[in-house]
Amino acid sequence: MKSYIFVWLCLVVLTGVAVSVAGMDLAGWSVAVAMVIAFVKSGLILIYFMHLKEEEGFRLLRWMIPGVLAILILFIGLTFLDVAFR
Amino acid sequence: MMETHRNNTGSKLGMWLFLLSEILLFGGLFILYSVYRFNHSQVFHLAAEALNRPLGTLNTLILLTSSLTMVLSIFFLKSRKPERSLFFLFLTIFLGLFFLFNKYFEWASKVHHGIYPNAPGLLERERGEVLFYGLYYSMTSLHGLHVLVGIGLLSVMFILILRGKINHERILPLENTGLYWHLVDIIWIFLFPLFYLMT
Repeated sequence: MKSYIFVWLCLVVLTGVAVSVAGMDLAGWSVAVAMVIAFVKSGLILIYFMHLKEEEGFRLLRWMIPGVLAILILFIGLTFLDVAFR
Repeated sequence: MMETHRNNTGSKLGMWLFLLSEILLFGGLFILYSVYRFNHSQVFHLAAEALNRPLGTLNTLILLTSSLTMVLSIFFLKSRKPERSLFFLFLTIFLGLFFLFNKYFEWASKVHHGIYPNAPGLLERERGEVLFYGLYYSMTSLHGLHVLVGIGLLSVMFILILRGKINHERILPLENTGLYWHLVDIIWIFLFPLFYLMT
């Protein structure tokens, strides 16, 4: 139970960091920082709140989740190959 | 007496499959957002600054806290303390409603300023701004719909725990609802920087 509260604290702190970083003028970096923080936060939720590691079907999920992310990144990449070089 | 067959691993995997399909559903919208942002970066920059950042931050904290109360509800039901479990489940439902209440407040103030889909004043503005608010309304309302469904599911769980249909031995429906609730939280974790922080 203590670990849940600790994870929640980490999530709140990360939100605070994201908001204060957004207040600074980092030009192109602000998007990257915001996205990295978002990925870390969802990682914390997936691992500790959704108990991904203890899941019985974890061996299958270990491939499925990166698979879905890969599909998404592939499509973002393909879309931008079109949009950016038009 | 006939024994009912329950496949816990199967149910869990099915839930995860559904959650992954949800990621792709929102993923499509994220691609749309990133392309339009790429094409209209300056306008998106200015439009994002006009959104209510403190309210967006508050809603992020509300959903993060509701994720905590959700895991605590499951934790206490597992440790055979249904009363505490119900208390934290109630808190989760309350926080979900609080989130929607803020969202209503936020949308209402935008609508009041004449910014809503197909509004005559909005259509006269730059194309990028029309696109930004179109995405803002469609993505936050699709997410809001998910929160609403989540509140419905959580309320059903509340009644089932109250009736003893869900207990420490049969906790799977509550766990699956929890997984769904956390996913809704994760989607908001990405929507929040997209619309409120990246200026």
